[in-house]
Amino acid sequence: MPIATNEQHLVEMAVVGNISQPTLRHGGYTINDVGVGRVLPGMSGVVYNARVGDPAFGWSGDHVEPGVSIANPENSAEYALHYLTCIGNRAIVTSGLAKGAEGIVTGEHARLLVDFAPDVLDLLCVGDSIQIISHGRGLVFTDFPQIELKKCSPKLINSIPIEVIDNGKKIRVPVTMALPPRIMGSGAELNSEYVDQDLMSGDRKLMAELGIDQMRLGDLVVIPDADHRWGRGYRKGAVTIALCIHGDSVMTGHGPGILALMSADEPCIEWVITPEANIAHYLNIR
Amino acid sequence: MNIRTNKDKLIAVSVMGQIASPGFPGLPAVPYQLTSEGVPFLWPTFGGIVYNVSVGDSAYGWLADCIHPGVSIKLSDENGNRGLNILACVGNTAIVMTGEAKGTRGVVTGKSGRFSEHVIIHFEKPIREKMAIGDKIVVKSFGVGIDLLDHMDVKIKSCSPELIEGLEVTTAPDGKLNVPVVRVVPSHLVGAGAGLTSEGGSLHIQSTDKAALAESGLDTLKLGDVVAIEDTDSSWNHGYLRGAVAIGVVGQGDSPRSGYGPGVTVIMTSASGGINPVLTEGVNIKDIFGLKN
Repeated sequence: MPIATNEQHLVEMAVVGNISQPTLRHGGYTINDVGVGRVLPGMSGVVYNARVGDPAFGWSGDHVEPGVSIANPENSAEYALHYLTCIGNRAIVTSGLAKGAEGIVTGEHARLLVDFAPDVLDLLCVGDSIQIISHGRGLVFTDFPQIELKKCSPKLINSIPIEVIDNGKKIRVPVTMALPPRIMGSGAELNSEYVDQDLMSGDRKLMAELGIDQMRLGDLVVIPDADHRWGRGYRKGAVTIALCIHGDSVMTGHGPGILALMSADEPCIEWVITPEANIAHYLNIR
Repeated sequence: MNIRTNKDKLIAVSVMGQIASPGFPGLPAVPYQLTSEGVPFLWPTFGGIVYNVSVGDSAYGWLADCIHPGVSIKLSDENGNRGLNILACVGNTAIVMTGEAKGTRGVVTGKSGRFSEHVIIHFEKPIREKMAIGDKIVVKSFGVGIDLLDHMDVKIKSCSPELIEGLEVTTAPDGKLNVPVVRVVPSHLVGAGAGLTSEGGSLHIQSTDKAALAESGLDTLKLGDVVAIEDTDSSWNHGYLRGAVAIGVVGQGDSPRSGYGPGVTVIMTSASGGINPVLTEGVNIKDIFGLKN
């Protein structure tokens, strides 16, 4: 039986963004962790060859955003796009050659990230409108009100095999790996309703030792002792389940983007490690 | 023996700011921030002239969010403010150029990061009474570019030669740089500021988990204390790296927000472990610079 939610009371509402053009700083350089300037693609636009389910590490890119990145040029509409869109929401192309094509939201970075089938990508133009049927804000686990849900669509929650265990006192969520809280980095300064927090991948040996360098875009992960309910911080005993939304970075204090999906300040979320725990699989994206 | 530096080659150059007004978000006029428990709060935050909090006071207990002791300045021109925030160094002299406090001098004690980008300056309390928001203050910036000639694996940031000398750093028998600090911040308590520039701004000690804070003895920190941050490489941004060390000055007070707490202005770092923090009670820039209230 799926975990009980208040899904029937949620409002579905359209929000819109446009396919973004990649932008670079004047000079173009991103300084890497040993102080060398690099010019690297990855953010914004249509990324043709990196998709949810692909590795998060190893790209010759920076903060690679899989699929299509959209934003709204109007400030408050942009915040609505960010705050209302949930992972797993439907996205419909509403202008241009791909008009009518349907994709699915796979992440939120400085832009919203949408996956489309590969044959759609060649039809997409920077500026094309993509409308999202936002659905998920206000979602709660009826029997676990202490678990704060962030950006989870009912479709996402219903697709993940979440178990209720321990006589109804806890849930158990599949994840691919656990991240130590001490590597949680850039994004700590933002509230946890907005975008993601990078894991800090600069200690390459640690990434290999812990197998974190095997992370894939779309992986579900757990961060023990991390409280992401109202901001992103360390709290012993807290648990956060999160989603890898973008690729690795060469910048110190940065790395793959980790977006909180569920967080509680008490140990009521258990996890089980399985390589299947990726939204490409759960949402039948590929 | 004094540590050898290249300070005779450094450029002293003016950077100006104006006393910043405290700010709040505009309409629809929701002035609250959320605590780590999700509870709205409305307290003074960064900016302005703070009359009753000074370097040397506790970093905790104030009904304020990341309060800046003394006076906060910034320049409205964004690029100009980058110049101010990067070039001003802890220990630099600040001179009031306009208003009733014209001609008086203060000392740079810290910097704040993303969302405020202020330079924080200590002035004696009677001087603060004469100041007005908007007064122009010039900082005689001096320190960016400084190297420790026998410790080239240590990068110096936002740090005046006076602070290096006042800290009484020494070369250890193993060749590392001994730096006196009051506490060591464990890497799991490093919060906001990670991944952001290390040439200005602040790196915050997370204070949500009070037990974890007390375990590390960080619950008694004072504004102005010199601390080490373990496994943190601040060479180019702040980030996690085993064996690296960052050293900083507590520049801002505690915060009830998740991911936040006292803000540290980082003054030196070694990615390769070339810094050896030496626990020493009472290492505070109030005493190093002889700051008076």
